[in-house]
Amino acid sequence: MADATPLEHSHSIEQSNVLHDNGGAFGRIIAIARNAFREAVRDRVLYNLVLFVLLLTAAAIFIGELSGGQERKVIVDLGLSAMLLFGAFIAIFVGVGLVYKEIEKRTIYAIFSKPVGRGEFLIGKYLGLCLTLLVNVVVMGLGVSLALVYVSRGWDPLVLVIWPAVLLIYLELMIITAIALLFSSFSSPALSALLTFFVFIIGHFSADLKSLATSMGSVAARALFAALYYLLPNLSNYSFITPAAHGQSPAASFILVTTLYAIFYVAVILATATLIFSRRNFK
Amino acid sequence: MSQQTRKSEGLKTTGVVLIIVGGLLTSISLSRWIDTHRSVLNPIVEDESLYLNGKTARRMSLAFNGLASDWYWMRSLQYVGRKIMNLPEDVELDNLGQLNLKTLAPLLDTATTLDPQFLDPYEYAAVVLPSVDVQQSIRITKKGIEANPTAWKLYQHLGYIYWQQRDFQSAAEAYGQGAQIAGAPAWFSAMKARMLAEGGSRGTAREIYKQMFDQSADDSVKEMARRRLMQLDSLDERDVFRKLLSTYQTRIGHCPSAWKELQPLLSNLRVPMDSGGAPLDPSGTPYVLKGCEVELDPKSEVPDK
Repeated sequence: MADATPLEHSHSIEQSNVLHDNGGAFGRIIAIARNAFREAVRDRVLYNLVLFVLLLTAAAIFIGELSGGQERKVIVDLGLSAMLLFGAFIAIFVGVGLVYKEIEKRTIYAIFSKPVGRGEFLIGKYLGLCLTLLVNVVVMGLGVSLALVYVSRGWDPLVLVIWPAVLLIYLELMIITAIALLFSSFSSPALSALLTFFVFIIGHFSADLKSLATSMGSVAARALFAALYYLLPNLSNYSFITPAAHGQSPAASFILVTTLYAIFYVAVILATATLIFSRRNFK
Repeated sequence: MSQQTRKSEGLKTTGVVLIIVGGLLTSISLSRWIDTHRSVLNPIVEDESLYLNGKTARRMSLAFNGLASDWYWMRSLQYVGRKIMNLPEDVELDNLGQLNLKTLAPLLDTATTLDPQFLDPYEYAAVVLPSVDVQQSIRITKKGIEANPTAWKLYQHLGYIYWQQRDFQSAAEAYGQGAQIAGAPAWFSAMKARMLAEGGSRGTAREIYKQMFDQSADDSVKEMARRRLMQLDSLDERDVFRKLLSTYQTRIGHCPSAWKELQPLLSNLRVPMDSGGAPLDPSGTPYVLKGCEVELDPKSEVPDK
């Protein structure tokens, strides 16, 4: 606890007490998640919303003159793309520091001196960042809706159409956060950020991986690319920004299946991270 | 902290602030100097080719293909707008062949590859590109039809391109195919028949520009259609005036020197006139009388070509 600020120290103590008092695993996870959320807020992570609002306001005012009457489409494209980009940056750069900061500040010893499992710790941290991202995404979604109402000078049907796309963006961010957490459970923050960024990029090239898997001559190469296709997250499934800008919504069955995919994929990643983290020696 | 140390700190802060302000002012001055002394680029060299083709741009854009498409679309508008602004005289949007718009087709192609459902760039390709590169215009419009088989507007654009090329048979086919799409307006079938019967007539042209004016969401395309409709009206009016002038010449033996001499004949036509008795063109500018010929005033909003 040597490097911790007084505020962080008090939060750590508060968290330790909650962890101690609350016997159930669920309660401990919630306590850690709440603390991770507070920490993200304290680290001014949500300040990106100010930048987002400025960006959208400028776009809503000026884009009409530049887009040849396509301001509604541009607002949706710009708003949802910024939502994904800002969210991915938060997921990567905050996600990779979740575990590392606790180790570096030695607060992890205080936490693990209480009856807290390493899996509970990781899941709590993960849920805390997911909550931060949820607040971020909901506020940004409202910002895009308001910008649409402004440029349409009244109600715009796109205000409702964008929300399924917003949900898909959030699911994608949940997957990226889990991957960042996985890498940070055994690697340095810089390397974890780099690896997560690579997965984010490759995840959007999944269609190419699949076509490579079918077009390769060698059986081993085919098997390798097929394995990569199924092992890496298929993030292109969550790209629904462009259709949303044209007023299209995904089918309910598509949303259900992609949500299930995200839940199962995140479960696998967090289980793997727990497995690695449980074997990690902090001495 | 002693007074001397505090004074030294204050001096340091002032020095740093002076460096910031001085540096900023110098960089602004240098930037302005560079702007004013920059050599004018050859317009051909200035139009550099795009680094990425549409397919590569789509792959590289990850989930941001919609935003990238908007970017290429706005670049297309800026590109054309900048070229038009550099011209001393007014030109019509569908007659920009002289502007050397060689990057327009790749820009529109990339925008539509990034977002194949984005219909406005196809309209722009159909209206602006034919005077630059008609084959690219047809290719991009057909690409749009392939990606949006239920978008009847794209058949309207294709028909318009063929009609401009005076290929009335292909134009009729395009309108005929568009007519088969559910939700296509009834005038598609009528337009098909009209193309085959009188493709080159003013009536067909008027119908095409009227539909373009009614259907387009793009202000620049609407404006172009409005001006073309004024031009068609003006052509009809000038034909009538020429007949009057011919009648006058036959009766009197010479051409009138002023519009007032034609007043008895013009009054039957109920055309709007200015205080001097000169008939006004559809934009409200008086026609110019030159002997037995009637011309548009150079200041008129009605396009001459």
